[in-house]
Amino acid sequence: MKITKSWLDDHLETSGSIEEICHELTMAGLEVDEISKINNDELIDIDLTPNRSDCLSVSGISRELKSINKKYKEQIIKENNVSYDYCENSKINFNITNKELCPRYEYIYLKNINSECALPEIISKRLQNIGIKSIHPIVDLLNYLMIDLGQPMHAYDADKISGDISIRYAKQNESFKALDGIEYKLTSENIVVSDSKNIISLAGIIGSQDSAVTKKTKNIIIESAFFNPKLLANKARKLKLQTESSHRFERGVDFELPNKALNRFIDIIYEIKICEFSDINIIEDVTLLPASSEVELNFEKIRSQIGINIQDTEIIELLLSIGCKYNKKNNSVTNPSYRYDLSIHADYVEEVARLYGYDNIPVSSEKLSIAPNKKYLPFEIINEIKQYFYKNSYSECINYSFVNDDLLENNDWKNNNFEKHMRISNFMSTEQNKLRSNLVSSLIKNIQFNNNVNAENSHRFFEISNVFDEDVNQVLSCVVHGDRYDENWSSKNRKFDKYDMTTIVEDLSRIFGLAKSDFDYQIKEIIDNKSKYITLTLSINHLISKIENNLKEKFVHYSKLPYIRRDLSFLIDVNIEYQSILELIQKINVHSLKKILLFDLYIGKNVPKGKKSLGLAFIFQDDAKTLTHEEADIYVGKIVKSLEDEFKIELRK
Amino acid sequence: MSGNTLKNDLKKVLEEATKSIKAVNNLDELESMRVKFLGKKSSLNSFMKSLSELNSEEKAIAGKSLNNVKNAINSILEERKALLSKVSINSKDEFDLTMPGRSSSVGSIHPITKIMGKSIEIFESLKFECVEGPEVEDEFHNFSALNIPESHPARAMHDTFYLDNNFLLRTHTSSVQVRTMDQQDPPIRIIAPGKVYRKDSDITHTPMFHQIEGLYIDKEVSFSNLKSIINIFLKSFFEQDDLKIRFRPSYFPFTEPSAEVDIEYVDSKGNKNWLEILGCGMVHPNVLDMAKIDSSIYSGYAFGLGVERLAMLKLGITDLRLFYENDLRFLKQFQRM
Repeated sequence: MKITKSWLDDHLETSGSIEEICHELTMAGLEVDEISKINNDELIDIDLTPNRSDCLSVSGISRELKSINKKYKEQIIKENNVSYDYCENSKINFNITNKELCPRYEYIYLKNINSECALPEIISKRLQNIGIKSIHPIVDLLNYLMIDLGQPMHAYDADKISGDISIRYAKQNESFKALDGIEYKLTSENIVVSDSKNIISLAGIIGSQDSAVTKKTKNIIIESAFFNPKLLANKARKLKLQTESSHRFERGVDFELPNKALNRFIDIIYEIKICEFSDINIIEDVTLLPASSEVELNFEKIRSQIGINIQDTEIIELLLSIGCKYNKKNNSVTNPSYRYDLSIHADYVEEVARLYGYDNIPVSSEKLSIAPNKKYLPFEIINEIKQYFYKNSYSECINYSFVNDDLLENNDWKNNNFEKHMRISNFMSTEQNKLRSNLVSSLIKNIQFNNNVNAENSHRFFEISNVFDEDVNQVLSCVVHGDRYDENWSSKNRKFDKYDMTTIVEDLSRIFGLAKSDFDYQIKEIIDNKSKYITLTLSINHLISKIENNLKEKFVHYSKLPYIRRDLSFLIDVNIEYQSILELIQKINVHSLKKILLFDLYIGKNVPKGKKSLGLAFIFQDDAKTLTHEEADIYVGKIVKSLEDEFKIELRK
Repeated sequence: MSGNTLKNDLKKVLEEATKSIKAVNNLDELESMRVKFLGKKSSLNSFMKSLSELNSEEKAIAGKSLNNVKNAINSILEERKALLSKVSINSKDEFDLTMPGRSSSVGSIHPITKIMGKSIEIFESLKFECVEGPEVEDEFHNFSALNIPESHPARAMHDTFYLDNNFLLRTHTSSVQVRTMDQQDPPIRIIAPGKVYRKDSDITHTPMFHQIEGLYIDKEVSFSNLKSIINIFLKSFFEQDDLKIRFRPSYFPFTEPSAEVDIEYVDSKGNKNWLEILGCGMVHPNVLDMAKIDSSIYSGYAFGLGVERLAMLKLGITDLRLFYENDLRFLKQFQRM
């Protein structure tokens, strides 16, 4: 809402600088966004919240200011005390029977318009300053009064109306060509003003193109009505046709305004002698106007919810200052007709707090229990993981949850059905039309981006986020690319490979005291644009379920007796998985075997085709006595035998 | 072998050893000297072996002399070693203190994670318990249960992403309030951090961003308590005891009274400005009623923090979009844990 300082001065005599006034507005909940100089005036841009429809006018804002600062004096705009010489009414018959759609409809007839006649300079200047374009003197004046008083009015070319005027619901799919030149398809929820042939306006929103006022218009009907906000709510938005008028009506316009606004209108057109005018015609059913609501005050509740010491009488005074009425007998208040936002007790608590001044409310601390802080386990786990990656030279990324179709291809976590990805029905761009089902695609994109702008031989990225499929799952993904180490003068470098990802899973299993098999994970190599990316994706949900409620570390007793190491090198079928070797050795349950270490893997020269050469070290240690070499030999013999029996291994010398 | 010859021989060995050891200039050579004079093939060792040829009286005297010489050589070796080690560390040609090391192992943590973590830590210390809610929500939890009916003009404030299956992406973490009140009886004291989505994209808006929601419901909770908790949080977060904070009236459908909180911010030119930092208020009685919490007995407050906003202020980031570009030149600026 834009107003100017000189305009405000019409309604209110203020003291102090514009900055002080704007500060008062801001602290009362009418946030001033900006103050700027414009053509010898000052433009004030106020960011109004949707509940304060009463402040959608200069007079509303000045009324509010007056209730905040008692020193400000209201400026009464003088009425012309003239008995007007009214012209006859138009021949058009207003047949408004459906009064629940429009409880109050007022209009006047303007005759013999002189469209060359200009509005007072002050009016056109102010409109220009707040950015409203000039169209026609009558229309400009209506716009001026809308900003001045808050009542939207509409002008119809009286000679383009045929037959009786009525107000009704639109027919489903009835079409309507609005002033903006666009044809709208209406629904049976829309309320229209119509003559016997056409819709002449979408009630409270916009007029039709055909009945619009032009330079050639001779005679005009001015409509000043009260439309029920409940019936207009959301209608303009659904049609994508929001106007200054709909903005006000759907938030609620004071039903006392139509008459006041028409009287002001008449006063001004009389002064500028632009046309002849009829007396005001009123069609209404006052029983259908919104009833003011009566709320019983609970002073104690007001005090305790805000946390202030305030007398009952002070509370009443504050509420009277904003135009409420207090009924002593019932200890109740009723809202003024312009305050649609006051209907329940909490609304009055807010008003008292607001008028008391939020800054004046004391700060009183709560009694906090001395119970230990409760840490949220999933975040603790995730933080631990993030720290691990951080300490291993990975950079954390956060990407948008949306992607486009191409990005999803081939990289699905769990290879679920592509069609089931959640699609955004009202996406902003096709780049962002689906929710991502994996993080890998985004991370590869991050690497490609950085590869273009930063000189690095190696990239390590990770992200922890939700992925969306039929279900939503939280996962960790990391993607590496290029050399294992940053370029440097010493270490022998090599490319990343999938075993680097295995190391991560093993490290995490050590950190969380779990077995590798407790993780739900996937290691993949992805070739994109001739570049190789190594990826790891791991389910966080699964990990959390495994850790359950225990992140605590506990001491386990260990043997201090000497250990014996025995190395074995053997040939084994290349297809036999390492895991099955471990499982076999575990199965034969070798006494004192503390650790198995794979120190060598070789395939190639001197190893027959179809075989691989493994080097395994076995560490033996007894908990109770010093182990002898003879005993260790027996244990190794047992292991060799079972490996020979099961996998036909061949010992190397 | 007689006692006298041995004595002479030992004297020679000691002289030679002393001379040779003092001539040595590096630790490797020193080790070979140790082997030469004290090792298995050293003359001392052969003298040691020949002791058996002597009678017991001679053996005792000779043994003593042998040991004396051995100890003397050992201490000369140690002395030399200590000297050489010192030289070695300072020796320019072996170690250059100014040389770069090998591959670094420090990565980076996204600033959003850090700010989120810091905020959660402060709230946990104020006895708030962390909870999470779904990012894919329904209209009821995101709007209706928060006193935002379909016709409410406030829905125009949120431009919502809808999914094909009629669900939506939550527009605020306030939806978690509703889910918590469904599952828990008062007192309730929670924070709910997470991602939220709005159909908006320009310099000051990204379609995805992060919020932390707070909710406290109990008997006799007041606006004054809300002011207190927000004060403690902001002062702790910005590590500034005299931080200027102001509350001004605002409007949210799910709180009443509602407030927006500004902090005083001094820009690079030294100008003081008020900057909006969060929204909060007392939980609207309609919200409590819908959650079947008796609003005549219980009251509560709620607040919502924009994490990006906090991060920008705390870290001096001026462009919101940087958070989601994942450019290493940005990410690598945050290398502290």
